[in-house]
Amino acid sequence: MNSSPILPEKRTPLGKHKPVSRRSMLLGSAGAIGAAWLATGLTGCSAVAAGGVVPLSFWHLLTGGDGIRMSGLVDRANSENPDFKATQTVLTWGAPYYTKLAMASAGGRAPEVAIMHASRVPGYAPGGLLDPWDLDMLAKNDVTEADFPQLVWDKGFSDKKLYSVALDIHPFILIYNKDIAKKAGVLGSDGKLPPMSSPEEFIAVARAMQLATGVHGLSYGYLNDGSQLWRLWYTLYLQHGATMELPPGGTVKMNTDAAISAFDFMRKLLDDKIATSRGDYATAVAEFVAGRSGMFLTGVWELPTVQSACMNVGAMAIPTLFGTPAAYADSHSFVLPHQNDPDKTKRADSYRFVADILKNSFDWAKAGHVPAYLPVTENPAYRSLKPQADYVEITKIVNYDPAAWFSGSGSDFQNIFGQNLQGVLLSGADPAAGIRGFVQQINTLLSKPSPV
Amino acid sequence: MSTSTVKGRAVAAVAPIRARAVPVRKRRRDHLTGYAFMAPFLILFALFLVWPVIHGLYLSFTDQSLTGHGGQFIGLANYFEAFADGQMWQSLLNTLWFTVLSTIPLVLVALVMALLVQQGLPAQWLWRLSFFMPFLLASTVVSLIWAWLFNPSLGLVNSFLASLGIPPVAWLQDPNVSMISIVIATVWWTVGFNFLLYLSALQNIPDQQYEAASIDGAGKWRQLLSITIPQLAPTTALILILQVLASLKVFDQVYQMLNQAITPSTRSAVVYIFETGFTGYRFGYSSAISYIFFALIIIVSLVQLRATSRKSL
Repeated sequence: MNSSPILPEKRTPLGKHKPVSRRSMLLGSAGAIGAAWLATGLTGCSAVAAGGVVPLSFWHLLTGGDGIRMSGLVDRANSENPDFKATQTVLTWGAPYYTKLAMASAGGRAPEVAIMHASRVPGYAPGGLLDPWDLDMLAKNDVTEADFPQLVWDKGFSDKKLYSVALDIHPFILIYNKDIAKKAGVLGSDGKLPPMSSPEEFIAVARAMQLATGVHGLSYGYLNDGSQLWRLWYTLYLQHGATMELPPGGTVKMNTDAAISAFDFMRKLLDDKIATSRGDYATAVAEFVAGRSGMFLTGVWELPTVQSACMNVGAMAIPTLFGTPAAYADSHSFVLPHQNDPDKTKRADSYRFVADILKNSFDWAKAGHVPAYLPVTENPAYRSLKPQADYVEITKIVNYDPAAWFSGSGSDFQNIFGQNLQGVLLSGADPAAGIRGFVQQINTLLSKPSPV
Repeated sequence: MSTSTVKGRAVAAVAPIRARAVPVRKRRRDHLTGYAFMAPFLILFALFLVWPVIHGLYLSFTDQSLTGHGGQFIGLANYFEAFADGQMWQSLLNTLWFTVLSTIPLVLVALVMALLVQQGLPAQWLWRLSFFMPFLLASTVVSLIWAWLFNPSLGLVNSFLASLGIPPVAWLQDPNVSMISIVIATVWWTVGFNFLLYLSALQNIPDQQYEAASIDGAGKWRQLLSITIPQLAPTTALILILQVLASLKVFDQVYQMLNQAITPSTRSAVVYIFETGFTGYRFGYSSAISYIFFALIIIVSLVQLRATSRKSL
């Protein structure tokens, strides 16, 4: 305040010497931004040219624990192959990922390699969004038909060309708490649950577990999650020996009696004693981890979560309760998104990159998934990895979603199933009516030409 | 514009002889300068609003797919399909229903809150802050908070109901109540803005009117009905217009709170447009639905404009 009379006099000469107008300020900053942009562009190019390292862009939808493990595998592949460097782009699971991948392929800006669910490949391959894998190039990298379970290898084919190479099989399974099972008196001397071959036997075990926890016997979350509802129902439906087909231009072919029977059984489980009738995914995980239930119906991908809670758990395929062994599963599979003019070096490096990850997929098994590459699962190291090794046989009985352009993991198909049938478990709605609504909506989709 | 006028004057003062000739050239240059200043906005406006609107109209006459396929001109086929599409009509009806359900409480609750604060409650700043605060949250945050509150087995709402002996409700999963749940969350989230508009309007009503009324023997209730509410009419009209437009566009809360379990009774028009275009890949069809929805919004706006302009007369 005291110096205020002096300041203007001191300032004026300074201002006269170097007037910085708003315009020159704007021009200057625009120039600076432009220069910075040019500089990054140039250094970006020169780094590749100088080092001779081929950049590979790799898109996937693996987050959480899966994402961390995948990062490890990518880092390892990069360090083992110094002449390329794969960079990951991770997008949200489900519709956001698939929409972006389709748009990137359609717009000619597709990544070199990507992961898709095997069940989504039928929606992508016929439309030219994917390029087929070259079997000879794969064989050169030690990836052949003999290295995969037959069902899983065959799933990669569309129109007699191989469009996807599976990294894993991730089925829907039964995880159980051994301590609670012991307390309930249902744990065998081999540390496993007793064989169960009928709905009654399964319910008896679940009831015993419920008495042991005093809360619930079983955890299962399905609310607002069409995928979860579909995975369990489809497993039970298939165990009836029933199938589902979605012929384009036709109508849904399915066995309604088996469909209703599967729902009847699910309703018996979700009676608010054995399991809550209003469980969502997160609640089910929390309940099982907190020891408030003894069994957990979920995907193998929840195994690390459960193990990190320092629990003594076992895992097994969902027992065959209706006569036919069957399980729902999907695979994270490698695909080559369509490139108009693929760079030969990048293509070759993409094969090496994928082969490297497949060979090191033992690390991936720790995330609960069953590696698809047989040399990994046939290795003694895997055989001693518990409880993963206890459900490796499930790969022989897995079923993917019925093929259609709109079906598969995180698709509209699973959402439509959830929308129509959630009420059956939640509020006792009529399963037959729910199935009619579901079939009607799917028939509408089948009647329209595929937009892919 | 103001700078150029000043400059013009300066030129006129220095060279009075050329003053008559200058304006024509000068005006043209002024126009150019004006457009140059508007260019950043105009370019973005044309690129991201005008062009998509025109291109969208074109797409609605094609079978364009998100995956780059199609693109054949198919005339009005998309529109015919849409008019026969029960799901589309259902989603339009749901949107209108949501607009009615949400707009009424968003006006009334805001008014009541503003009146309460205006009454001079102690710690006014705290009330103002807490009523307005939710409006500052991102839709994702609001959706997460309410999804947890409404959680059927762990949620606060159900545990409160349980303490009153009321059986649990599946707020977001039961198709009969999920729309109401979304309305509750929306009101909590956005009512603060309307509250603020009402509060500032209340503060603009001259005290003399109340003084005169009380001298004439009008009680509080009479003052509210005869002074406050009529004086707030322009604000109410503004809030209604803003609110109806915002509610018709509802997407975020529905998509995020219901996750994937959007049922036919909760699917809003924008959600259906998103589903057909972005997960169903049918861009052409989705564009056609957008244009039908666009027409509906224009009709609603015209009706509203009619009603409010009559009111202000």
